[in-house]
Amino acid sequence: MGEDTDATPTLNHRGFLPDHNYVTEADIISTVEFNHTGELLATGDKGGRVVIFQREPESKTEPFSQGEYNVYSTFQSHEPEFDYLKSLEIEEKINKIRWLPQQNAAHFLLSTNDKTIKLWKVSERDKRPEGYNLKDEEGRIKDLSTVTSLQVPVLMPMDLMVEVSPRRVFANAHTYHVNSISVNSDYQTYMSADDLRINLWHLDITDRSFNIVDIKPANMEDLTEVITAAEFHPHHCNLFVYSSSKGTLRLCDMREAALCDKHSKLFEEPEDPSARSFFSEIISSVSDVKFSHSGRYLLTRDYLTAKVWDLNMESKPLETYQVHDYLRSKLCSLYENDCIFDKFECAWNGSDSVIMTGAYNNFFRMFDRNTKRDVTLEASRESSKPRAVLKPRRVCAAGGKRRKDDISVDSLDFTKKILHTAWHPNENIIAIAATNNLYIFQDKLNSEMH
Amino acid sequence: MIMKGQKRKHPPEEVDVSDRSSPMWESQRQFVFSVSLNKYHHSQGLPEPSLRRSVLIANTLRQVSLEAFAAPSVDMEASPPPCSSSSGLLESVFTAKHHPAETFSNSHSALVSCPTVSLNGLSYCAPASNAHMSVKDEDEDWGSISTDSDFSLSAVISSILTALDSTIDGSSQAAPRTPLRSLENLPAPTDGGVGWVKQGFRGYGGGWEQQEEGRARESSTELMRCSYLSELTVEDLFQDIDSSLLEMDMGVLGLLGSGGGCPTGDDLLRYLPPFSSSPSHPFSLSLNQNLKCLPSLSSFGPLSSSSSSPTCLSSPPFSSQNHGLDLEHLMEILVES
Repeated sequence: MGEDTDATPTLNHRGFLPDHNYVTEADIISTVEFNHTGELLATGDKGGRVVIFQREPESKTEPFSQGEYNVYSTFQSHEPEFDYLKSLEIEEKINKIRWLPQQNAAHFLLSTNDKTIKLWKVSERDKRPEGYNLKDEEGRIKDLSTVTSLQVPVLMPMDLMVEVSPRRVFANAHTYHVNSISVNSDYQTYMSADDLRINLWHLDITDRSFNIVDIKPANMEDLTEVITAAEFHPHHCNLFVYSSSKGTLRLCDMREAALCDKHSKLFEEPEDPSARSFFSEIISSVSDVKFSHSGRYLLTRDYLTAKVWDLNMESKPLETYQVHDYLRSKLCSLYENDCIFDKFECAWNGSDSVIMTGAYNNFFRMFDRNTKRDVTLEASRESSKPRAVLKPRRVCAAGGKRRKDDISVDSLDFTKKILHTAWHPNENIIAIAATNNLYIFQDKLNSEMH
Repeated sequence: MIMKGQKRKHPPEEVDVSDRSSPMWESQRQFVFSVSLNKYHHSQGLPEPSLRRSVLIANTLRQVSLEAFAAPSVDMEASPPPCSSSSGLLESVFTAKHHPAETFSNSHSALVSCPTVSLNGLSYCAPASNAHMSVKDEDEDWGSISTDSDFSLSAVISSILTALDSTIDGSSQAAPRTPLRSLENLPAPTDGGVGWVKQGFRGYGGGWEQQEEGRARESSTELMRCSYLSELTVEDLFQDIDSSLLEMDMGVLGLLGSGGGCPTGDDLLRYLPPFSSSPSHPFSLSLNQNLKCLPSLSSFGPLSSSSSSPTCLSSPPFSSQNHGLDLEHLMEILVES
């Protein structure tokens, strides 16, 4: 693949304890998302907090040094709640963050936990008015008798202050756990998907939403399939796709009917009877679906593979990439320790030529669709000194021929999983969430990639 | 995650599953079955298990059990077919027995094994005595089971497994906090019904009608509803309830309430708010003194105190003594009917 990636200093914004083996559960990063320009990067964690990083503008003195990401703002998005009716606690874990396209000086993002979606406004304040007539510098009301002349307050620069305020709270629309949110290209609506239903919201209206997909059966005993992810088409505001636990993708057109239970297109790969196992269904469950930037392709991730689909071809995927096929013989153990239920995300690069997804042992993989080359990299402190070039890793089968630095399948650490990754919309900058650490890797300037 | 006390078996590595005659296939099938059952039991203890995970486990359990009976002739070559499937079931009973905290496991394990025994015409109480057997010995005991009953057995077992499936997800029944409490103040009987829909036991009114339906099917219907339904809001419940379903539910419990039927139904009745009794005693136990208290429903707490059932429990920790009592009683009921 030829890509050399720099490691910028690991941004562990949690203030963690020196003993790295101890991970506060609240600090586990649960979602990562760049905004539409790539200037801002938002992360959500299990404790309901959102941390926004901003890319520093490139320094004029060093024209070839690329901007680094520093903490821009931190706020508590969701608090743990208690559902009194069901006697259940609602987790504050942030499941997804989606940025709205920027329309004015402020930034807006949607963040969601299992039940409630919130719209946050992130704005800067770097000037403040000074020279009031009625108030003095400390804010006390002036004695009017001392006011002899009128002045116009002037705006004076002040230290940058980032203010975050909740603008909308979209609550009480989901019985099941929200797994996806997606902003429509009309910039007025967005959808939220839980296990069985998808709702359409208007960004300005919080007290009602339209249900557009409902796969809940009349008898719950007939339930065999749930919705796992959903996304709007990047350009066509009437199209969206949702994936299921049975490995199917459904493209729906909102113009056809108010309730999009009937799909326009069904993308499903026929099962290979020779590869059938007891876990065929579980490993076919799609954990993430992403439209390409062009809108022409779909990228899906199931347990062992990543697939690229052409919207015009429903019968089978265009390309299938084996992410960690060496796990195919370990499915029994992975089922036993629940790892088989891990939901990995996937990402496109800006030009839709490379796809990326995470794996175990803090490995993540990138596949170049054109050259068919792929690389496995590791996101860990030991292998990521600042400015160091990441070394490609290789996993070999147990007992197989081992090269130096190879790692055997049996030595993989299944507790270190890279579930959440994001790719800058334009440049080769990627954000990798490894448990409670965030790694940001940038491509070296003289890379021969793409 | 292997539960404490469970015999740690080396997971059989992936084999070509299309080759059913392979002994590895059978051992893998049994392994998957027992692990799936354990996962289901474990999720019972969780306040709100993931629906996706539960559905996937349920589908796997269903597939494994169906495949077990899909090719009985093949199974015979590998090992006595009833043995393999039944032993798989008994395995689950045994493994379940190792987890006293998982109160529901025993009831279901008993349910799983009882029809096996009754359908096969054996009159002895297999689970109780088998409790002392090692996992490997069970094959010998089942050697006498005729293969004729395999298909009926499979039908029963799959329906029971669907029952198990239903309780896999979203169910908070086993949680120490009783969601029922939040509905205690609702006026009966409608709210009692709502409350029971809340718990997924839709068939609350059924104890008072008599209908003949497959008992395993009914229990499966019941249990299926409970776990998936626990996530519903009250508004959903009202919308979802319609009379046709209610009638079927009532039939379920009608069957169960008659002649002792399936213990599951009995236990459900036990915890149901009385359909006809005064609202001030939402959980009166006067309806049916013969009802047994299934450990799975013990999470509904204080109902057990005045029960006449010796096996009634009021807290999730489940003593092994009650295990035996329950199973014996279940066996008697099934054999009688």
